[in-house]
Amino acid sequence: MLHANIKTGEEVIHMATPAEEELGESKWEVKVPEKKLKDKLFFENLKAVVIDTNLCSRCLTCVSICPSGLIVTDEDIVGFPDFEKNCFDCGACVRVCPRFIYEPPSGLGNYIEIVAAKSKRFKGQDGAMATELIASAIDMGMIDQGLFVDRNEKWETSIFHVRYPEQVGVGTLGGTKYVFAGILPALKEAIRFTKKGVGVVGTPCMISGIRKLQQEFPVFKEKVKLVVGLFCTENFHYNDLMKFLRDEKGIEIEKILKTNISKGSMYVTVAGAEKKRKIKMAEFEERGLVAKGCDFCTDFTAVQSDASVGSVGSEAGFSTIIVRNENAKEVMAFIREKGTAEFGEKVVMDEIDYLIKFKKKREEHIKELKLPE
Amino acid sequence: MKKVGTPEYNLQDKLKYHLSALSTAAKQVALPLNITTHYPRERRRWPDCFRGYILFDPERCISCFQCSFICPANAIWMKEAPSNRYYPTLDYGKCIFCHFCVDSCPGGALKPTKIHDVAYRTMEEMLTLTEEMVEPPEIIREDKVFVDYVIDTEDLSLKRTKGRDNLIVEIAPSQGVPMVSQCVDRASCIACKVCEKVCESGAVSSIKDEERLIVKMAIDAEKCTGCGLCVKECSMQILRLVRK
Repeated sequence: MLHANIKTGEEVIHMATPAEEELGESKWEVKVPEKKLKDKLFFENLKAVVIDTNLCSRCLTCVSICPSGLIVTDEDIVGFPDFEKNCFDCGACVRVCPRFIYEPPSGLGNYIEIVAAKSKRFKGQDGAMATELIASAIDMGMIDQGLFVDRNEKWETSIFHVRYPEQVGVGTLGGTKYVFAGILPALKEAIRFTKKGVGVVGTPCMISGIRKLQQEFPVFKEKVKLVVGLFCTENFHYNDLMKFLRDEKGIEIEKILKTNISKGSMYVTVAGAEKKRKIKMAEFEERGLVAKGCDFCTDFTAVQSDASVGSVGSEAGFSTIIVRNENAKEVMAFIREKGTAEFGEKVVMDEIDYLIKFKKKREEHIKELKLPE
Repeated sequence: MKKVGTPEYNLQDKLKYHLSALSTAAKQVALPLNITTHYPRERRRWPDCFRGYILFDPERCISCFQCSFICPANAIWMKEAPSNRYYPTLDYGKCIFCHFCVDSCPGGALKPTKIHDVAYRTMEEMLTLTEEMVEPPEIIREDKVFVDYVIDTEDLSLKRTKGRDNLIVEIAPSQGVPMVSQCVDRASCIACKVCEKVCESGAVSSIKDEERLIVKMAIDAEKCTGCGLCVKECSMQILRLVRK
């Protein structure tokens, strides 16, 4: 039950008061979303509009919210085996899907400041500032749990729950993974047990999913305190990408230390080799390795996040941070106070603008998209 | 100081009991039984709240898994019955006879008995299936007399009664604290109706209003037994048990 706070006008969560409990008053109403395709189950709607049209970004928001827990990902495609039989038809998946009613976010978004910084405590892909933000938020007591994407030797992703900043020292936590990870289903589990709040790092599509969850369900609004977005141009399907690197490029997956994309090429650092391997993005696109959902994504800087982090725009070894709201500003102030990060000279906005425009071009793909009537 | 008074025997009684003891020993030598023989053939009369063998009434079971969750010895396993319902099975090899399961059962489906001397030949036999829990087990009973300690003004005295003590007791199911299910964060409800599906007493209801695109959810506090099934199953974890 949402009520407006008289002073601030903000919506606040209404918990059942003891008086109401005594009365045994437990009647409530739940809004159900409208179906685009009438006479069909909600999951069929989602399948027709989002999954079958390749609009799906695989953010896994639907997986996290489905009460049956039977929405799964198979070969990087979201599916629901036997949904005719098992779907509860509650509409939760449609309510939270950021692309069912798609309002593509783009541009630089609102921000308070843009700075370049480098963590003194952690080592990561560039400045390790996403890690630093979460670790500092744990230090200052804003959150008691941070969700990170970890990887194993084969670059398969898994979710790592961080409760103490020292845990972030694990070598594979920082760094870009370029494959999908199920951070949202882990987030739903995490909010059950958290006392102070949870901090998350994710790609722009995941951030949109989290915001949609927060908009629909107060329990997420209350418990998810810090949302750090990553600059993202595109993502890859794990199996296809690894097969390509192994079979066609002859790179041993276990020896890859780092991957990064800049100026239209992917650079792969391999242990023992002096030079980085350069693979042009066009090669990936030819083979259709880039996730199809990314074709419809126009958001480079994760405009809906609390703070966005990426390497673009700052010199080597530094991260660019776009601080967007008060939560993130507090954390940045804490970092400055404790001196856990070194701040860079300046941020080259042209580089960021270039990629924002590059992704903005994908709006055409959305226009071309034919949605079922 | 209080004394336990013993019955007084005359010579005839003493002779009788001695002969009986000798014949019992002789019988055991010739035809040994596989359990310890009671001697004298009398039982203490146990109180009705004695924690013994547990009986099960499938009609009252709501498959809430409470007994298997609460069992500290992990002796209770739920098994699927042909009716797709889950019923408990009890491994007496693990059971510590704490009767937490009996006390926690919201429907009173588990019932205590005074039976405490069931003998098994193998470990496998000790795993008692649901069907075997419905009827009391077959036990060898040689007792013809039961004894009671009675407080007779000042002294405790032993009282002998002829006949057999009834080991099956009719005891009212444990009431506990009356609880009722409540939704604590109504705005986070997704109306998946899992609570309605799992509720055995029909306390949760939902009405879909097609025109307004609204689902009206309600929990009837009168019908709710406070079993906690819906609290456990709620996908958003927004139901809680509160005191009635």
